[in-house]
Amino acid sequence: MNDLLFSQLSTLVAASVLLFGILLVWRRSLLAYIKVFQWQSTMLTILFAIVAYFGNDPKLYWIGVLLFFLKVIFIPRLLQRFLVQIDVEREVAPYINTATSLVLTGVMVLLAQAMTNPLIRLITLPTRNGLPFAVALIFIGLFVIITRKKAFTQVLGFLVMENGIAMLAVLGTFGIPLIVELGVFLDLLMGFLVMQVFVYQIQGTFESIDVSKLNQLRY
Amino acid sequence: MMIVFHFSLLLSPPLLAALLTYLVRDYRRWVGWSNTILSLISLGAALGFVIRVLVDRHIPTWGLQLDGLGLQDIFRVDGLSALLLICVTTISTLTLVLSPGLGKKDDFSDRPLRQYYISMNLLIAALLLATVANNVGVMWVALEATTIFSAFLIPFKLTKASVEASWKYILINSVGIALAFVGTVLTYFDFVAIAGEADNALNWSVLIATAPRLQPEILKLAFVFLLIGYGTKAGIAPMHTWKPDAYGESPTPLGAMMSSALFAVAMYAILRWKAVVDTAIGHHYTDTLLLILGVFSLGVAAFSAVQTRHYKRMLAYSSVEHTGLICLGFALGAPGLFAALLHLLNHTLAKSFMFFVVGRIEDRYGSNAIDRVRGLGKTMPWTSGLFTAGLLALIGLPPFGLFTSEFALFRAGFSLHHPWLMVVSLTLLAIIFVAFINHLNHMLYGLTPAGVAIGETGNWQLVPLFLCIGSLVILGLTLPTPIALLLNQIVTTIAS
Repeated sequence: MNDLLFSQLSTLVAASVLLFGILLVWRRSLLAYIKVFQWQSTMLTILFAIVAYFGNDPKLYWIGVLLFFLKVIFIPRLLQRFLVQIDVEREVAPYINTATSLVLTGVMVLLAQAMTNPLIRLITLPTRNGLPFAVALIFIGLFVIITRKKAFTQVLGFLVMENGIAMLAVLGTFGIPLIVELGVFLDLLMGFLVMQVFVYQIQGTFESIDVSKLNQLRY
Repeated sequence: MMIVFHFSLLLSPPLLAALLTYLVRDYRRWVGWSNTILSLISLGAALGFVIRVLVDRHIPTWGLQLDGLGLQDIFRVDGLSALLLICVTTISTLTLVLSPGLGKKDDFSDRPLRQYYISMNLLIAALLLATVANNVGVMWVALEATTIFSAFLIPFKLTKASVEASWKYILINSVGIALAFVGTVLTYFDFVAIAGEADNALNWSVLIATAPRLQPEILKLAFVFLLIGYGTKAGIAPMHTWKPDAYGESPTPLGAMMSSALFAVAMYAILRWKAVVDTAIGHHYTDTLLLILGVFSLGVAAFSAVQTRHYKRMLAYSSVEHTGLICLGFALGAPGLFAALLHLLNHTLAKSFMFFVVGRIEDRYGSNAIDRVRGLGKTMPWTSGLFTAGLLALIGLPPFGLFTSEFALFRAGFSLHHPWLMVVSLTLLAIIFVAFINHLNHMLYGLTPAGVAIGETGNWQLVPLFLCIGSLVILGLTLPTPIALLLNQIVTTIAS
C-alpha cells in the first residue's frame, strides 16, 4: 500500500516537473521563464521531500532544503534583478518556431520513454515510473539551449537540464552520496554566477544578448 | 599520517598560492614568483607519489570514516593517477614560470593579473583533485570546476572575440559535463539496484570490483553519456567545436594549460570509466565507440587544418588530431594503451611548449592570423627555430617523442588486424602533415611587415622552452626506465 502511494505520488510530481519544462518551450516572455523555473524547482523540492519520507532517508531533507534556497529563492532572484538591468523582455523568434518546438518536445518525451524502458524493466524501485520524465527534461533543456537565441534563455535551458539530472538522481538512486551532492550544488552555483558574468559581458561588448550575433570566430 | 601529509603537500600549494594572491591587494612581482615556487612543491610531491607507486609498489589511499558523507578512501593514487600527476604538475610549473607579470615590464595592469593568478591556481588545484580523487563523483565535480575557472581566464583581454569564445566554451562544456554526470548517476543507479545504497559506491576501486555484477544494459547507456560528456571536455570530434575558439582567443598560458593538462585529465576520466565498463561487459563495445570517434576526429582535424587561417586555431586542430589518436590507442588493447599513454605524455609536453612559442610570436606580430606573420625566420631566429621544431614534433616526425608513440600506436593497430582503419588514419595524418608544412612555410619566409621589431626579447624565457624540446628529443630517442615501468604497471592494471 505504502509502496503504491509512493509510486503514484512520485510519478505525479515528476510529471509536473516535466510539465513546467514544456512550458519553457511554449512561453516567450523572459519573466515567464523565471516563474516557470521557480515553480519547477518547487515541485522538485517536493519530490525530494516525498522520496525522503517514503524512502526513509533523512539526508534528502537537507538536500531538499538546500535545493529550495538555491533554486527557488536565490537563482530566480538574481535572474529577476538581471532582467531589470538588461531591459529585454521577450525571446526573439527562435531558430525553430513554437508550434514545431512543441511537437518536437512531444517526440523527445516519447524517445525518453523508449530509452528508459529497458531500465524500468530491470529494476524494482517504486519510483521507476518517473525516470522517463527526468530523461525527457534533460532533452528539453538541451533543446532550449540549442534553439534559442538569447544568452539568458540558454542559461535557463541549462538550469532546467540540471533539474532533470537532479530528478534522475533522486528517482533512480534515492540520492547520490552527500559529498558529491554538495560538490554538485557548489559547481552549479559557481557555474551559474560565471554564466551571469558572461551574459553581462556579452551585453557590454555586443550591446545585445542575442547569441546569433556571436559569429565572428571562423577558420 | 604520512599519507595525509603527502596528499596535502600535493594539493595545498595551489590553494595557498591562490589565497596569497587574494590577500595581497595589489599585484606584486614577488607574488607571481612565490606562486611559481609553490608549484614546485606540488611537482615534488607528484614525483614522490611516482616513487611510492613504483618502488614501494603500493597504492597510497586516504579517506575519512564518517557516516553518510561518502569520504572513505576518497584519495587514491595508482600508476595512472601518478602519470597524470606528473603531467599536470610539470605543466603547471612551466605555465607559472612563463606567466605574465614576472618580468620587469608588462602591459597588464594589477587587477587582471591578480585575477589571472587566482583563477590559474584554482584551475591547477581542481585538476590535481580530479586526478587523485578515487570517488568518480568527486572527479566529476573537480572537472566541472576546471570549466568554471578556465572560463574566467579566457577573456583576459576583453574583446568581442574573447567574449564570444568564452561564452561558447562555458556553455558547451557545462552541457557536456552535465551529460557525464548523467552517466555517473546511471552507473550509481545500477550499483544501488544490485548492491543497495552505499556511501563508497562511487569509489573507482569499489566500482571496478563490483563491475562484473552490474547490469550491462544500464552500463552501456551510461558509457555513452560519459563518453559524450568527458569527450566534450577532451574535445573529441564532433564535440570539439569550442576548441579552436577557446584556444584561439585565450591568453597563452591558459591555452597551454587547457590543451595539455586539462585535456590529459579529461582523457584520464574516459579511461577510468572505460576500465569499469570493460570489466563488466568486455572491451568490444567501448573499443568500437572509441575507434569511430577517433577516426572521425582525425578526419575533422585534417580538413580543418587545411582550411584554417589562424595559427593558434591550427594548434587546436592539431589537438583534435591527437585526441583522435589517443582514442584509437585506448581502443587497441594493451599495446595500444601503452602507446596512447606515452602519446598523452609526449603531447602534453609538446602542445604546451608550442603554445608558449606561439605566444611569443603573437606578442611580436600582434596578430593571430597566418597571413600577417611573414618572415618569422628573420624576425625572431630562436623562436622560429623552436616553432619549426615544435610543429615537426606535433606532425609526428623523428627524433621527437611523438614519433615513437605514434609508431607504437600504428604497430598495435596493424597487429590487431585493423589494417584499413590504420591506412585511413595514416592518410589523414598525411593531409595534416602537408597542411601544417604549408602554413609553416608561409610564416617562416617572406618579408617582415613594417612596424614589427626584429630580434629576440625576453631571452630567459627561452631556457625552459629549450628544456621542453630537449626532453621531447630524449623521449624520442629512448624510453626512460621509470616511464616504461610506470606505463607497464598501468597497462597491467587497466587493460587486464
